[in-house]
Amino acid sequence: MLRNFVKSLSARNLRCSIKNNGVSQSFISRRFIAPLSTTEPALKAEKVKVTFIFHDGKRMETQANVGDSLLDVVVNNELNIEGYGACEGTLTCSTCHVVLKPEDYNKLPDEACDEERDMLDLAYGLTDTSRLGCQIILTKDMDGLEIQIPETINDARV
Amino acid sequence: MFDVAPSVKSWEDVPGPRPLPLLGNTWRFTPYIGGYSVEHIDKVCLALREEFGNCVKMTGLLGRPDMLFVFDASEVERVFRGEDAAPHRPSMPSLNYYKHTLRKDFFGAEENCAGVIAVHGDQWSAFRTKVSRVALSAGAAAQYTVPVAEVADAFIQRIRSIRNEDSETPADFLNEVHKWSLESLSLIALDTRLNCFNASEDSESMRLIDAVQTFFLSVGELELRAPWWRLYPTKMFRQYVAALDTILSVTLSHVEKALKEIKANGSSKSLLQDLVTAAGPRVAAVAALDLFLVGIDTTSNAVASILYQLALRPQVQERMYEEISKVLQDRPMKPGDVNQMPYLKACVKEVMRMYPVVVGNGRQLTKDTVVCGYNIPKGTQVIFQHYVMGNSDDYFTNASEFRPERWMNRSPAQKHHAFASLPFGYGKRMCLGRRFAELEIHTVICKMVQAFKMEYHHEPMDYHIHPMYTPNGPIRLKLMDR
Ligand code: HEM
Ligand code: FES
Repeated sequence: MLRNFVKSLSARNLRCSIKNNGVSQSFISRRFIAPLSTTEPALKAEKVKVTFIFHDGKRMETQANVGDSLLDVVVNNELNIEGYGACEGTLTCSTCHVVLKPEDYNKLPDEACDEERDMLDLAYGLTDTSRLGCQIILTKDMDGLEIQIPETINDARV
Repeated sequence: MFDVAPSVKSWEDVPGPRPLPLLGNTWRFTPYIGGYSVEHIDKVCLALREEFGNCVKMTGLLGRPDMLFVFDASEVERVFRGEDAAPHRPSMPSLNYYKHTLRKDFFGAEENCAGVIAVHGDQWSAFRTKVSRVALSAGAAAQYTVPVAEVADAFIQRIRSIRNEDSETPADFLNEVHKWSLESLSLIALDTRLNCFNASEDSESMRLIDAVQTFFLSVGELELRAPWWRLYPTKMFRQYVAALDTILSVTLSHVEKALKEIKANGSSKSLLQDLVTAAGPRVAAVAALDLFLVGIDTTSNAVASILYQLALRPQVQERMYEEISKVLQDRPMKPGDVNQMPYLKACVKEVMRMYPVVVGNGRQLTKDTVVCGYNIPKGTQVIFQHYVMGNSDDYFTNASEFRPERWMNRSPAQKHHAFASLPFGYGKRMCLGRRFAELEIHTVICKMVQAFKMEYHHEPMDYHIHPMYTPNGPIRLKLMDR
């Protein structure tokens, strides 16, 4: 149920759209909540390779759609990471925490907005190259991206 | 790894004052969004921690589940991180009764349309999902930047006109702030300017203003005093119900208007219209009702408190003024502007750390949970004492000092526990109005600092819980035009 619901959302709708430089204001023309039935026009989805690396060292390669958020990728591929994306991308939970390689981190097109940073502060095991997966939207040049899913407090205590 | 069950102690062993009530019968707890209603519970909690430690059991509370007060930020973190799909936040029994008994025909008419306040489990979760993507997306609030700034301008005009000959705000200044808050929220939740600052008698605006006021007056009474209303409808209770009915009928009428406009335009142009489109008219009306119930006095008390704290600190105002002038350069505010005002944002966070309007938040455990090394049974209300933690040197370096910088450049040398100060809560059940609250607060504070030099020339005020944590006394600020 929930899965399908999350799937049907356009990732772009939930991303913070105001960057800290205050320049990009595209949200004004973009209604962020399209009626849920109108899913993305079925463009021939471009794919990029994304590899998830779990805290126990396991790796998992996926083909992900350009335009999806990393949260979408986790949900669409049924990666079943416990508790991941609890707030469905509404920036209230920080469970979608990911750690990137420094070179990938620096190449991301958008910096974290203030709302993301406030939640990132609350991420477990925060690093200098941490981001929230629900806010990272895949672009063509992210092919080959490696994403580390850090340990959670629940892993740490078992 | 090592053995996991390191002698977890039992619930019976949790320390706590016995027998209750240690404070006579004024001791009562109101789960008003998890906050307290006892006026000086802030000080009581400091004393409790002093005497019993970081985790204190409160049992034998008249007609209420047992409670566990938690003063340890790492334990708060663990409880939040262990939340399941539908975290349960204790809520107002009178509202429970209104939604689930008295007006169950309305709130139970469709599946999952009872709202988020005083609603739990799957019903909460289904409703929340429908609303949160509309309300919490950062862009959702940004689209209101210009109208929210207009309301802030109207507020400033209003207080210019009501200052006395010493340029001081009148003793009932807080009331004017409430009007600003109601005006801003109606704009967001109902697409409507109520014109609270000069509403005419027997207008819809006035009915709504009165209803909201009645609701706030009576909810405190009903929750604080013996719950006679459970036995028969007391006068207070009848007023309370009438007020809720009025608010609901107003939200319904605006939803109808929204429906018509969507039809006419073929698209949606506002939060309310988005909600109607995404989740249907009933959900939209109930959502708007809930926003009204918890979104007005929280925001207004926060603003009053921030203005008071700023009035005590001219240098802080100067630095804010510089920052604001640099960004705005005498042009009107536009979306994204406050994101370039990190000092202003930090000042707001710092006041919320030291004087959180909601002093404590809480969860009713949905499963047995280990907290502070004790096995706490399902059903216990775990209360996170953010006022105490936010002001503790254990979690913030020099906690008693007002230092907005601590939010701007975190150095590793500085202590700062992220879960000690959480003015809007955390996780799936976090404040649903946070984006709007922040937009409103940042905007009005920005405008106030831009318009006035603020000073305070009376006795320093202590804070009390009323039921928001707010300066105890008339907020008489001297406002000198810049
Ligand atoms: C300074 C202003 C405000 C503060 C400090 C505040 C604080 C809070 C807190 C602490 C909670 C409980 C969160 C949790 O359980 O983790 C909450 C819940 C809530 N707040 Fe706010 N709030 C503010 C303004 C607003 C506004 C303006 C609105 C409406 C537009 C609003 C709507 C709500 C709603 C609907 C909930 C219940 C969410 C749920 O149970 O799913 N709040 N708020
Ligand atoms: S899913 Fe909750 S913050 Fe990203």
